[in-house]
Amino acid sequence: MKRWYECGSADHALSRRQMLGTLAGTAAVGACGLSSLMQQTVAAEMKKQNRQVIFIWLDGGMSQFESWDPKPDSEFGGPFRTIPTSVPGVHISELMPHSAKLMHHLTVVRSMSTKDPNHSTGVARIQRGDPANRGVNYPYLGAAVTKLLGAPANGLPPYIWIKPGSGGFIYQEAGFLGAKYGALALGEGKPPIHIQRPDTISDADDAARNELRRLANARFRLDRRESEVDAYEQSYDMAMQLMKRKELFDNSRLPAKDIARYGTHPLGRHLLQARVLLEAGVQFIKVTSYHWDTHGDNFNMSQQLVPQIDQPFAALIQDLADRSMLDNVLVVLMSEFGRTPTINSRLGRDHWPDAWSLALAGAGIRRGNIVGQTTKNGAWVEGEGYDVGHLFHTIFSALGINSKKIEYKNNGQPLPIARDDYEPIKLALA
Amino acid sequence: MPTLLAAKDPTDVLDDLKPAGPKATVLDPAKAHLGKTIKNERQLIRARFSPDGVHLAAAGLDKIIHVWEVETEKKHTLPGHVTWVSALVFNPKGKQLFTADFHGNIRAWDYAKPDSQPLFTITGADRQITRALAVTTDGALLLSGGDDGVVRAWSTKDGKPAKEFGTALTTPVWQRVFKAGEAGHCGGIYALAVHPDGKSFVSGDQFGVVKHWEIASGKLVRDLDARLLYTRKEDFIADVGGVRCFAFDAKGERLATGGLSKAESNAFCPGTPAVLVFDWGTGKSLTELKLTVKSDGPINGLRYLSDGTLAGFGEHQSAATVCAFWKPADKPEPFHTVSAQSATDLDLHPDGQRLVAPLFVANGSGGNGAREKFKDKYVQNSSQIAVINLFAKVDTKPVKKA
Repeated sequence: MKRWYECGSADHALSRRQMLGTLAGTAAVGACGLSSLMQQTVAAEMKKQNRQVIFIWLDGGMSQFESWDPKPDSEFGGPFRTIPTSVPGVHISELMPHSAKLMHHLTVVRSMSTKDPNHSTGVARIQRGDPANRGVNYPYLGAAVTKLLGAPANGLPPYIWIKPGSGGFIYQEAGFLGAKYGALALGEGKPPIHIQRPDTISDADDAARNELRRLANARFRLDRRESEVDAYEQSYDMAMQLMKRKELFDNSRLPAKDIARYGTHPLGRHLLQARVLLEAGVQFIKVTSYHWDTHGDNFNMSQQLVPQIDQPFAALIQDLADRSMLDNVLVVLMSEFGRTPTINSRLGRDHWPDAWSLALAGAGIRRGNIVGQTTKNGAWVEGEGYDVGHLFHTIFSALGINSKKIEYKNNGQPLPIARDDYEPIKLALA
Repeated sequence: MPTLLAAKDPTDVLDDLKPAGPKATVLDPAKAHLGKTIKNERQLIRARFSPDGVHLAAAGLDKIIHVWEVETEKKHTLPGHVTWVSALVFNPKGKQLFTADFHGNIRAWDYAKPDSQPLFTITGADRQITRALAVTTDGALLLSGGDDGVVRAWSTKDGKPAKEFGTALTTPVWQRVFKAGEAGHCGGIYALAVHPDGKSFVSGDQFGVVKHWEIASGKLVRDLDARLLYTRKEDFIADVGGVRCFAFDAKGERLATGGLSKAESNAFCPGTPAVLVFDWGTGKSLTELKLTVKSDGPINGLRYLSDGTLAGFGEHQSAATVCAFWKPADKPEPFHTVSAQSATDLDLHPDGQRLVAPLFVANGSGGNGAREKFKDKYVQNSSQIAVINLFAKVDTKPVKKA
């Protein structure tokens, strides 16, 4: 089924260089069974390049007790009930009725156990895969994935970040990979300002001014660090690309039913925008929601907050399943940590990295699956706990990236793409 | 087992829960001080004295109802609920205690009988959470309010529905929007109080709206504007605050509402503890009372004392707060405070000489993880029932002979 957002036939095509590289690598295997191996390798490469990611970040830390791992009968449990899900025997919080119906598409990891209890260091540490003081600025997950998968030649920015507040080109997310791997942030899900070229500027005038810009950049680059110019050029190129795809931001084209299903609140609007961009072929989309740090009034807040992710998250999963996109799109829903078992003086829960939950779905992920468990009172992981390093290996493995073999090269220095002392969470992988 | 009369301090002879009796001195809120405390293993949300002052009941996260017989020091429990208890109220005209929970269930108890089963249960009284209870002055009707924005009246005799005030909200809590001048509440109900004349009551909601209802006719009389107690800034993703408590003065001429103003986020929910005092006749807000110490949570309990003093108590994140005493007609700042940990309720003994509040107790496990190293010592927080005596401490130290 061709989707209305899809552009021309160049979408998802392997580049000539990638094809030749793949064939060369395959030829090195030897003559025996060459044809078959070549076909398999090309197919695997094509499959990998089609992979997309939506990374949903609930900034501040969603309570696992009020979402994926409720313990209402324990001393640390909250007042909310559990409800059954579409997977027999699996229950989650009553605050997530929509997700409960789609549990058969999900893997929920209930045994995350990380180290950092602070936002200021925790967010970057987790989104960079906790690279363990390598002495370099590791890329955030979105930059890493677009680098490792290779950007598809579909004329769209490979890494888009939909967030509340302002947008812009966030080159800092690229770390040592270089600014061009940064994120194009769409503040409030809106396209960059000035995306629409005024009618008074003709095609010829536009081409002429762009040529002038390129010349100026080349001169500017002469005595400056490459990264600075890369960041500028990359952001400009992305804006140019999006100017050609204005329909992606035309909400009047969205069916009213979809708007209602996702909800008109920020997370609803942003996840629907993300679905549109995934359909168009954007490789990695991060969607951020702020203000989940419920130190105060946790239960009244959870009653209002958790449904705000439940409804559009379930709508997104359903849509990806209906469009046969779940085989290619990896969905990650997480925070920097969970929330404390103990309840504080403001009936809130504080930060809790010791035992918390996240959800995965789609490409390379096992379906209808719970990984790990916490103790009866929910305070601790029972059995093996998983750190961020495990998670990054899992994400890369799900995308077909061999995280144990592939390395970054930073000025000639080989660096692991995920902590070399960790393994993928095998129970989460299909 | 806690005992009510075990003196915390041998000199503190009046600091018990007994009715003040002949030893009591004159009410003097300016000398109010913290008296006896009783520990409870789990956090408590509500604590109230029975109308005759003989019993004290408290409930919260441990789901059971704790009842102390004040005079004899005996404690017994009632089976309680299957989830946290959210509200608790005595019938002023009988031996009934009503409790409500976070699943919208209400139970009636013959509270003086240990381990007795509920007299009746109202299942699913209020859709989702029942947050507030009140009983009419004649003892005939139990009022309940919760997430669906309707006040329901139930017969205290058998729990049968008697009347409804407002229309049930069907939109989920997180999708509700305030609209001025609506016939019913636009949001969940957090607080209820019956006017001393027994003819009307007030309900307060998550948006800071107070509705004045006539009990007999079921009619909405008017709205009182306590919107100061609600905050939703542009970047918030949830409503913060709401009307958390009420108190009428003895003559029913003043209505005090408590909560939180100027919230700075929907995460920590820090703000300014606030009390609005209304003139009941005109419905106009007369004054906004403040605290003079740092405190960031809502005022959760208010009580008028017989001399016109208003007492209020609330929450503070990770630090002590105060029970404050105001003369609302004089100035917005309290004339006296008693330092203590956060409180989720406040009640006045019928003798008018002491307040009671469930206070937060941190057990060393608070704050952010990681706590793996302290696994064995990681325990829940708890509560203590605290008595605040409303008179001067009596110095009972023996006088040295010359």
